[in-house]
Amino acid sequence: MRLSTIALNNLRRRRGKAVLLVLGLAVGVATVVSMLAITQALKADTERKIDQFGANILVVPRSDDLALSYGGVAVGVSSAVQELSADDAAAVRTIKNAENVSTVAPKLLGAVEVEQTRVLLVGVDFEQELRLKRWWSFEGKEPQGPDQLIVGQEAAHRLKVGPGSNLEILGRQFTVAAVLNPLGSQEDGLIYADLGAVQGLLGKPGRISLIEVSALCSTCPIDQIVEQIGEKLPGSKVTALAQVMKSREQTVDQLGNFSLAVSGLVLLVGGLVVLTTMMSSVNERTREIGIFRAVGFRKSHVVRIVLMEALLLSLLSGLVGWAVGTAGSSLVASQVAKLEVSVSWDPLLAAAALGLALLVGFAGSIYPALRASSLDPAEALRSI
Amino acid sequence: MALIELRNVSKSYDSGGLPVEALKTVDLLVEEGEMLAIMGPSGSGKSTMLTILGAMNPPSSGAVLTDTIDVYALSGEKRADFRHEYLGFIFQQQHLVPYLTALENVMLPMAISRRSQHEQAAMAQAALERVGLGNKVDRLPSQLSGGEQERVAIARAIINEPPIILADEPTGCLDTETGIEVMGLLRTLNREGLTILVVTHNPDNTRFVDRTVSLRDGHIDADRRHPIALAAMAGIGDGSLPSPRSLALTAPSVSVCATGI
Repeated sequence: MRLSTIALNNLRRRRGKAVLLVLGLAVGVATVVSMLAITQALKADTERKIDQFGANILVVPRSDDLALSYGGVAVGVSSAVQELSADDAAAVRTIKNAENVSTVAPKLLGAVEVEQTRVLLVGVDFEQELRLKRWWSFEGKEPQGPDQLIVGQEAAHRLKVGPGSNLEILGRQFTVAAVLNPLGSQEDGLIYADLGAVQGLLGKPGRISLIEVSALCSTCPIDQIVEQIGEKLPGSKVTALAQVMKSREQTVDQLGNFSLAVSGLVLLVGGLVVLTTMMSSVNERTREIGIFRAVGFRKSHVVRIVLMEALLLSLLSGLVGWAVGTAGSSLVASQVAKLEVSVSWDPLLAAAALGLALLVGFAGSIYPALRASSLDPAEALRSI
Repeated sequence: MALIELRNVSKSYDSGGLPVEALKTVDLLVEEGEMLAIMGPSGSGKSTMLTILGAMNPPSSGAVLTDTIDVYALSGEKRADFRHEYLGFIFQQQHLVPYLTALENVMLPMAISRRSQHEQAAMAQAALERVGLGNKVDRLPSQLSGGEQERVAIARAIINEPPIILADEPTGCLDTETGIEVMGLLRTLNREGLTILVVTHNPDNTRFVDRTVSLRDGHIDADRRHPIALAAMAGIGDGSLPSPRSLALTAPSVSVCATGI
């Protein structure tokens, strides 16, 4: 006979209460596990999508002059216009963390006169550019060949062109494939053409002005990618776009805080279930506790019996909660939220779930245990 | 030197704001090896005296000395250790743990000892055989008769080989014949050297004891030694009582079992 024998036998006898406690705490643990697992999956999915949504790294030629523009207003021109090459754009995809590079969009900029109007012509790789600029919407179709253009809303208005219109630029005929819907940015005044065609028009074969890069930063910090690109292109200046990063971090943090708050509430309810169930059990066992004390059990022995019962049940709750939570969140992530990132069976999360269940079980049962131990044995034996 | 001494013991309770004096300046000496009955009407203080003797109920004043130990000068935890070493309890209505078998109920006091499982089981088996239940070790209390449950309670009380047994109405819920058997068993244990104090309503049970202490309104009203015991003290006879079954029962048994519990 050991104290554990008493605890186990009592649990077998009071199966109904034991099941109630396990269910109550398991629901709490399952909720926490689900929230954590789904939040992790959402974070990864969100990061992935945000990373894919626009450039977060800018590669420009290194210049000895300081920036001479502010808020998009250029004040003077730098003494020498440096340029990058098409090989530099290809080199970006050869960095150590190449798998984190989603899109590489090179551009060649040139100011040209079109129908007596000065416009900025941007030579792009349309495939990469359209992948980078997922927020673009336009009237017309995607360009299908090197002689087709995408024109910004304001530029189209000024040049009086629309989808299907012909436009001559520096003696070459182009067709307007699409007109962008208003973006409220400088892109409204630009004309986008095939990079090779613009290189030919401007007499700069193989040259590019800048490279916009979209990197997936879920698995490695942006700083590492910036450093690696800088090492590949020593003549360039590589910067992470702080605004994009900050926005991503804020979104992710908000998700994390929300899940923490909900998890805390649910665990509190789980703890209350443990408390009320154990108190009820102690009240039913007043005479039994009187017997224990009369035959010489110390208060600490009684505390150990009650805690042992609660912790055994909490352990079971943790296992059940972890299994149900992981299975449930996997289903929700794939079928309901349609996330691209999956929820996996994580042994670390299992250990955390067990630890959490034991902690909540202990916290919820300490008062009933102390209450049981402080029962007056003489009074307890007299109770009916 | 007396094994047990109550020295000027009083006990008051607060009952709905009014003080109730359960015991009033009681003095009592119990010699080692005595079997003593404590009798009295309801409210006379019998159970209070037993719980005070059982180191579970501190008196309002006075002292309780057992084997020269001032019981209520000990801390709460030390008193628990004292109960474990010195006392065996037989409660009114047995108070067996319903989800433990007879063997496990008897082993209960050893759950906090350092004895191995094997040793505990062997001692419990021996105790059950001593009370005539060696073949019912795996039964739950619900599967035993009232008398058998009482025997299990007695086995549990003696398992740790304490020098003192305190019994509160051990025959209260039993029929006459079974009650006689139980009292006879207690007498046998007493003859083996245990000091036994029995609280009882039933005057027939006094025929099994050496001495009867009567309580009334918290005082000791009478303290009578049985003639055979007196004779043994004077060196006449060995103090053995006649066979319990030969005793004529002149007073009806008073049942103290509450029904429906």
